[in-house]
Amino acid sequence: MATLNLKNIQKIYPHSNDQKKAKKKKGEPEKKTNLQVTDQGVIAVQSFNLDIADKEFIVLVGPSGCGKSTTLRMVAGLEEISGGELYIDGKLVNDVEPKNRDIAMVFQSYALYPHMTVYENMAFPLKLRKMDKDEIDRRVKEAAEILDITQYLDRKPKALSGGQRQRVAIGRAIVREPKVLLMDEPLSNLDAKLRNQMRAEIIKLRQKINTTFIYVTHDQTEAMTLGDRIVIMKDGFIQQIGTPQEVFDHPANLFVSGFIGMPQMNYFNAKLVNEGGKYAVAVENCKVILSDEKQKNLAANKVQPQDITLGVRPSHMVLSKQPGNTLTATIDVSELMGSEVHFHANANGKDVVVIVPTMNADGERIDSYHAGDKLNLTFSGNVCHLFAKDGKNLEF
Amino acid sequence: MTQTAKKPVSTKKTILRLLLYFVVLDVCVITLYPYFAMLCTALKSREEIFSGGTVLPITAIWSNFIDIWSRAPMARYMLNSVMIAGGSTIIAMLCGIPAAYALARMKFKGQTAFLGFVIVSQMFAPVVLLIGIYQVMQTLNLTNSILGLVFINAAFNQAFTIWLLRGTFMGISADMEQAATIDGCNRIQSMMKVLLPVAAPGIVTTLIFIFINAWNEYTVALCLIQDDLLKPLTVGINTFNGYNIIEWQYLFAASIFAIIPVVILFMCIEKNLVSGLASGGVKG
Repeated sequence: MATLNLKNIQKIYPHSNDQKKAKKKKGEPEKKTNLQVTDQGVIAVQSFNLDIADKEFIVLVGPSGCGKSTTLRMVAGLEEISGGELYIDGKLVNDVEPKNRDIAMVFQSYALYPHMTVYENMAFPLKLRKMDKDEIDRRVKEAAEILDITQYLDRKPKALSGGQRQRVAIGRAIVREPKVLLMDEPLSNLDAKLRNQMRAEIIKLRQKINTTFIYVTHDQTEAMTLGDRIVIMKDGFIQQIGTPQEVFDHPANLFVSGFIGMPQMNYFNAKLVNEGGKYAVAVENCKVILSDEKQKNLAANKVQPQDITLGVRPSHMVLSKQPGNTLTATIDVSELMGSEVHFHANANGKDVVVIVPTMNADGERIDSYHAGDKLNLTFSGNVCHLFAKDGKNLEF
Repeated sequence: MTQTAKKPVSTKKTILRLLLYFVVLDVCVITLYPYFAMLCTALKSREEIFSGGTVLPITAIWSNFIDIWSRAPMARYMLNSVMIAGGSTIIAMLCGIPAAYALARMKFKGQTAFLGFVIVSQMFAPVVLLIGIYQVMQTLNLTNSILGLVFINAAFNQAFTIWLLRGTFMGISADMEQAATIDGCNRIQSMMKVLLPVAAPGIVTTLIFIFINAWNEYTVALCLIQDDLLKPLTVGINTFNGYNIIEWQYLFAASIFAIIPVVILFMCIEKNLVSGLASGGVKG
């Protein structure tokens, strides 16, 4: 139960001596990632600003190497903060030892103590705090009850399955009733079925224990289902912070739009035009007038007509019976999913994915389309995402 | 058809297996024969040894094993050996564990150079350093003293200890210690309560290796110790190797006593070499 404030947090990994030597020789270090490299070193996280409310569930999400785990480890105190300020409950904790931050963390690798039983593992942080034996017993049993691991308390971690080990790791974290609970990709070592199950368990857990969560994942499903707010990161920078719905509906840039949503958003080279004070997008023969909300946003930003990247989610593409003001695409592959069909089509050299219900409102079945058939596609003015050539959403 | 095709394969396999057994048997015989000869000689009388004859004793004289305890201060030699091997093991571990921890878990300038230096120090045979060691010990007034041998044996085994323990520590995920620091441990506590128990198999193995090395050390002890009552077992056994006569039966009987602890300890390591303890804490 705590608020967290991350102000301009930065993490720089200094060059090792070998890298410095290589730099002297070559003039510039080898670039393996898109992370910014300065004389001081590789910048893993920069300009990280985030205010986390009490009992909020924040998910940090992004591809590998984006700095999400580094940020979490800085909050935990396992990594030194190179710049900026970290406050927990209004107290500056940059130089506070991990054990004095009153946080708990669940590791991707579980990090259980193999020489202790499940009970001892869970009691360990409480024993270190010299808590009363009866209180330790009560708390461990209560946590075991919540996580349904009571029957394994006498076992060593070796004798547990992956899912059970993860529960023990979570148990060890919650017995302390920490101010902040940090989770570093806790489900990524589990198989798909168990992961879904554990995800639901975490949602339930959250309802049972009142604490602030920071959860790191690269899985957008976990991010969307668990988070009150999602922080999307790339190359050490925050790309967008928002609720799952906000991020899905209003991605701040091309990267976010592509990262959130399965299947990925479709992109088209388009033109933003302004006809008689009304903005519209034109892709090939198809011209769509934008919704009132978008008109307002674009007008407020004084956006000029320009070449843009138009993004439309697969489920927002609509099949049109009549050709005309439509995009034409040829089906490459059609995947029947039961209640819906995924068409992988080709529209003028661009790959397009379209998701349509198997049966439309008129009762007509759609699954009669086959590879090679032509589709007439359209979309409405409120589902377009307009990105400038630099990737920024024009509405922001 | 399939049966006929299978038959030659199984015959070939059987022949290969027989050949393998034959080779293993040969190796066993070659390795174990000296011990067998040692035991047989220890059971012979002095007259029988010098009269030639067969390897096996005509009558086994078990009293040889008892006689040695009265003919030389064997118990004292053994106690000295235990003190030297035990003391040097404790010192080598006390210095080796923090050094290996630092090399495995921390980054500091000159780390690679230090590791290189450690391995180079292992390259010199102790005999090469004998004169230097003698001079150092003389300066420290530690010649003819068990404490001197404790220090020397600890130093000889230090490089080995550091390298072996560093490998053990590096094989253990740092996540566990980090979890411990978050759970409320400081660095020393996380090492004592988490890393060392998890590394126990590696630590025990290292410990026994050092003990055996120190137990078997001969040259330095021979040069440094003059007082008969301070000799370790390896040097003390030479009592039976006199100026005029070598009492082979006693020499071998004493040698058998000397190797018993080593054999027992090796059997212990074999059990501990199974590094199963570290599994289960982290994924995989």
